[in-house]
Amino acid sequence: MGRSPTWDGAVVLLEVTGLTKRFGGLTAVADLSFSIAKGEIVGVFGPNGSGKTTLLSLIAGVIGPTSGTIVWKSRQIQGEKPHDIAAAGIVKTFQNPQLFSELSAFEHLMIASHLMLKRRLGWHRIATLLNPDAGRAGPDLERRAGEVIQLCRLDAARDQLAVGLSYGEEKMLGVAMALMCEPELLLLDEPASGLGQAEIESLESVLRDLRDHGTTLCVIDHKVGFLGRLADRAISLHHGAKIAEGTPANVLRDPNVIRAYLGQHHDRV
Amino acid sequence: MTASARVLVVAAAFALLPVLIKSDFILTILVFSFLLGMLAVSFNLIFGFTGQLSMFHAAAFGIAAYATHLAMVHLGVSFWTGMLLAATLVAVLSLIVGIICFRFRLKEFYFAVVTLAFSEMARLVVLNWNSVTNGTLGIILQDKPSLWLPGQGVVKVDSTLMWYFISLAALVLTVLVCLRVISSWMGRSFAAIRLNDELGDTLGINVFRYKLAAFAAGNLIAAFTGSLYAFFLGSIEPGFLSIEQSLAIVAMVLLGGRGAVAAPVIGALVLTSLPHLIHFGAEVRSIVYGSILILTILLMPQGIYGTLSNLGRRRRAA
Repeated sequence: MGRSPTWDGAVVLLEVTGLTKRFGGLTAVADLSFSIAKGEIVGVFGPNGSGKTTLLSLIAGVIGPTSGTIVWKSRQIQGEKPHDIAAAGIVKTFQNPQLFSELSAFEHLMIASHLMLKRRLGWHRIATLLNPDAGRAGPDLERRAGEVIQLCRLDAARDQLAVGLSYGEEKMLGVAMALMCEPELLLLDEPASGLGQAEIESLESVLRDLRDHGTTLCVIDHKVGFLGRLADRAISLHHGAKIAEGTPANVLRDPNVIRAYLGQHHDRV
Repeated sequence: MTASARVLVVAAAFALLPVLIKSDFILTILVFSFLLGMLAVSFNLIFGFTGQLSMFHAAAFGIAAYATHLAMVHLGVSFWTGMLLAATLVAVLSLIVGIICFRFRLKEFYFAVVTLAFSEMARLVVLNWNSVTNGTLGIILQDKPSLWLPGQGVVKVDSTLMWYFISLAALVLTVLVCLRVISSWMGRSFAAIRLNDELGDTLGINVFRYKLAAFAAGNLIAAFTGSLYAFFLGSIEPGFLSIEQSLAIVAMVLLGGRGAVAAPVIGALVLTSLPHLIHFGAEVRSIVYGSILILTILLMPQGIYGTLSNLGRRRRAA
């Protein structure tokens, strides 16, 4: 497959070429190629088992590919460890919220400030073990955590333990933690699943805010309406292969996509 | 008041205790409690805060005890230099054991079993290397450390009172260092590993590196404890590296509580003094001692410190 279209003149951040992942006899991702340009929101959708989550896990380094390359800002990253990929600027959220159950929302964000501190102080952060005020990074991290809490509409949940959060707050806390890593590319795994209409609208607004602040987003979801409204560009997967790519409206009208979602006998929807 | 300030206040109270208590017997129990408390606090860095049930701790403790003595005898160095050399040896061994375990991503039960196997290997070497370790008989340590004191010059540390202050200072230093680590970015990384290491990894935390750091740091403190303990006791034997010793450390942490840095010291105080407070025959004493331990752990799953903290919190809320 050739190089995917991106915004005219935009800088390509991520280039996926011939990416394949097999689990035994099952091919979860099949010879997939696409790219993501700086500042866009790319929506990836497809029916259950189409390889969406596997794709994000491959990009984030949670699993390694069988073949193919993932190039991030001119550097091949396929097979690298998740923490190295996060340090390079790609951060992933989880489909089922993954949290630190004993900690408050704010404490989650302080844990997630790890990369921010590392970028600010490097090895000098060792000095903060002797003198907590060395580098004066502590107040910066706390201020940023406060900003992210506001941005993600989590003010009311700030000091609540993760076990006491609603599902929507848990999902949003996942996004907030990812933001504390200062990602250039944020991979969101079904962020709208399980959310009510009001929560989805709030999520859309947060994600647009993020894009406006310069974060590039790759969002996968079942909810075609949500992705259709949010994404600048859409990619549809079926059995791990790309079956359509373009503007969300065009992709949703694509006969291959309609067949994948509704079956062979529903050509007209 | 900060946690560090509270520790210093309690330490100051203990420092004044010898003014009231002249009994060598009680001071001796307290010295053992402080040293075992130091061992339990260092173990809790690996177990309570990073979530890794290491069974290598007794080995770190015992290897350092032997290595300090051997360095003094064969290299002619002072106790303090021997202690540093022993700690270096333990740090290197910890890195080797840790790299093997964490590269293979061993967790929970598997990590406990493999570290126990390494610990047993070390114990069997000590047990069977008669020409160096004197095997099951162990070694009587005649030498005592020397210390420079203002106004007195270099003196031998041979009185219980001197050991009391040295062990108290070592314990306080250990608690303060662990408090600083736990409240820092490093402690937050340890918490991430304990609670959800997969999530920590995706947030940019190098899980391997921080597990290794906690393991090595905890064992390093255990090494210092082993050297001090052996020279206070005046002997070393292979039991230092035994499974019983490992389990005693786990019991101290569970009893004291693993949620706070200094909590295991309470467990060490109770478990060290309890056998001396229960005046029964040896067989009945073991049953009573074991029963108290089991009941405490069953009824206070958060340990003595955790239970008392919760009670205090509830009382303040009411």
